[in-house]
Amino acid sequence: MKKLMALLLAVVMVLGMCACAASDNTPATTQAPAATEKKEEPKTEATEAAPAEEGKVFNIYAWNEEFKGFFEKYYTVPEGVTVNWIINPSDGGVYQDKLDEALLNQANVADDEKIDMFLAEADYILKYVDSEYTQDITALGVTDFSNTYTYTVQAASDASGVVKGVSFQCCPSALIYRRSIAKDVLGTDDPAEVQALLDSWDKFNAVAADAKAKGYYMTSSEAETFRVFSNNGETPLVDGAGNLTLNDAIKAWQTQAKTFSDNGYTLTCDIWSDECTAQMFADGKTMCYFGPAWYFNFCMGNAQDPDKGCYGDWAICEGPQAHFWGGTWLLAATGSDNPTMLADIMDTFINDEEVCSNLIQNESQFTNNQAVNAKFAADPEYGNAFLGGQNDVAVFVELAKNIKFENKTIYDQLLTEGLQGYWREYCDGAVTEEEAMSNYYKYINEKYPEIVTP
Amino acid sequence: MKRLPDSRKAKRKSISYAKWGYLFIAPFFLTYAIFNLYPLILTIYNSFFENYRSGLKQVGPNFVGLANYVKLFTPDANGTIDILKYAGNTVVLWLGGAIPQIVIALLLAIFFTSHRLNIRGQQFFKTVIYMPNLIMASAFSMLFFTLFSNVGPVNQLLIQWGVVDTAIDFFSIKITVRSLICLMNFLLWFGNTTILLMAGIMGIDQNLFEAAEIDGAGSIQVFFKVTLPLLMPILVYTIITALIGGLQMFDVPQVLTNGAGTPNRSSMTLIMYLNNYLRTSKNYGMAGAISVIIFIITGLLSLMVYRSLTKKD
Repeated sequence: MKKLMALLLAVVMVLGMCACAASDNTPATTQAPAATEKKEEPKTEATEAAPAEEGKVFNIYAWNEEFKGFFEKYYTVPEGVTVNWIINPSDGGVYQDKLDEALLNQANVADDEKIDMFLAEADYILKYVDSEYTQDITALGVTDFSNTYTYTVQAASDASGVVKGVSFQCCPSALIYRRSIAKDVLGTDDPAEVQALLDSWDKFNAVAADAKAKGYYMTSSEAETFRVFSNNGETPLVDGAGNLTLNDAIKAWQTQAKTFSDNGYTLTCDIWSDECTAQMFADGKTMCYFGPAWYFNFCMGNAQDPDKGCYGDWAICEGPQAHFWGGTWLLAATGSDNPTMLADIMDTFINDEEVCSNLIQNESQFTNNQAVNAKFAADPEYGNAFLGGQNDVAVFVELAKNIKFENKTIYDQLLTEGLQGYWREYCDGAVTEEEAMSNYYKYINEKYPEIVTP
Repeated sequence: MKRLPDSRKAKRKSISYAKWGYLFIAPFFLTYAIFNLYPLILTIYNSFFENYRSGLKQVGPNFVGLANYVKLFTPDANGTIDILKYAGNTVVLWLGGAIPQIVIALLLAIFFTSHRLNIRGQQFFKTVIYMPNLIMASAFSMLFFTLFSNVGPVNQLLIQWGVVDTAIDFFSIKITVRSLICLMNFLLWFGNTTILLMAGIMGIDQNLFEAAEIDGAGSIQVFFKVTLPLLMPILVYTIITALIGGLQMFDVPQVLTNGAGTPNRSSMTLIMYLNNYLRTSKNYGMAGAISVIIFIITGLLSLMVYRSLTKKD
């Protein structure tokens, strides 16, 4: 009896294990044929008839809600298609990591789970454009780039000139200043006059001392000016041989960051931190920010809140050096099962005049459609209320002429984040200059073993 | 030769249940082999290879011998060997949390079990001190990050009360970052330790306490001469589990310093270092080498504690 019981128990246990193994196996075995079947279907259809039937799920990878908002407002999704947003934060390269995983796995998942479109930023767009994971959008039917800014097409083209995506915005960056503080410090809040007083770094640094004397901060973070310098650098962060090269522009920023911190011209904090954002509110003490249209319409969102912020107390001008910052490109993923919709979205956001006009009027965007931008720039009726009625589009139209998409690498996002973070410790006085740089090199070795650091 | 059949017969007669025993414990060994032993061997194997991802391209695996280990132990320009520095950080952070944790837990356990004090509402207190352990460590860490940020409530209060003029940047000063991490680990774990030690003390024969009291021993004498020696097995168990947990410290400092181990990487633990190699670059070679080092350190420390335990027995 005992023996029987023991045998029974053992059998039950072994069966239990088999059951586990079986339940693990079954979906895999059933999935595989399903996937191959699905793959074959469109092929046969495509040869027989027009591409009538496309996927029912449209997957978009993004790192924030910015484009999602515009998409949901201004794009009419074809009937029966569900749009699926997969959003991961950009900070620390999380978005890139997740996106890479998904793209590398693209061939192994069912059509409805494949990425159809993903967003990429200027700091790492090259990584995806120069790969087999993005596809030629001209073949999908997006062919009219006559109104877009040349650099946006160039950035989305691979080495042989194949265009893989479009940007829905153009991103010349400006000096964004608080009118009331500028009046106090400079005696004027008129964009042209402010520009004349801040059109070089020497003037900018001198004004910083004046601002400090009056109890203000020139910038809210020592990294606020980073993009202005780095975008004017002569060499990329990583050269052709894979060596890290910090050019003179970046070294100039490092010097300025330390001086500004030591003299109390700026707070030392991350540009995306609460501390930095708090300075945008009504009781903030910061005069200058730098950024394109997306910076004040999206990232300064809190400052737009009439209760907390200081709506209308802002204005823009070129600042010490012309530059551009970021931008969101829409890239077409290889293997998408919704090619028509994909092409339609891209075409809508660069060529549909109504949508582009709405983006400017309702969202304070600076669009990637030169004709629409020019129309608003010339319109005396148009003014941005957040900027005290200033015609921001007119300013950006001029600034956009300077944009050159060059000296970019696939590493820029993390190299920039790391440099700002480790240099901040030096600005704070927590480490010596050597320690800060040594920590930065260690960080690079961990993130990108292929980059040679000093 | 002749005896062989006899002995065989004899064996057959006495029924051995050993095989059933083995069969019953087989699932454990099987899962151990699949989920622990195999990955362990694979990790050691991987540590001899150059194997990482550059963007969307895979580099390796190429056999490089001990190159990864050599790299780990090569001092940097300032003469520090990173992995030793992070091991040091880990130990400091662990001790800072574990010492108060054990001392306070021991005190509380004695108070709660003392029939002289006879504290009321024990159930309530036990629940309260155990509470922090129920919160996810990363959520707890995020809470502290918000509380102690430059614009957070702690700084606002300090300024309002006139203690400081400008906000203290808690996350750029070595001592404050480390203290916060230790404090959090202490808060998270002291309740758990208290419950364990209480169980240990309640397992001691009450007669011994009474006898000591009749002999005129004071409460301090009772603690050192009766409670502590008899509690030793449980205490050592607590210390070993805390040690292993401490060496794997990750979530609290990772979330609090956003993975950077600020300032000057002085709150970077071994596992955070390991994680740095696994994110973005997927550097299995270096990560494997670090894992092997952590494995050796953990093994050695556990052996030390185990030795000290068995010696006393």
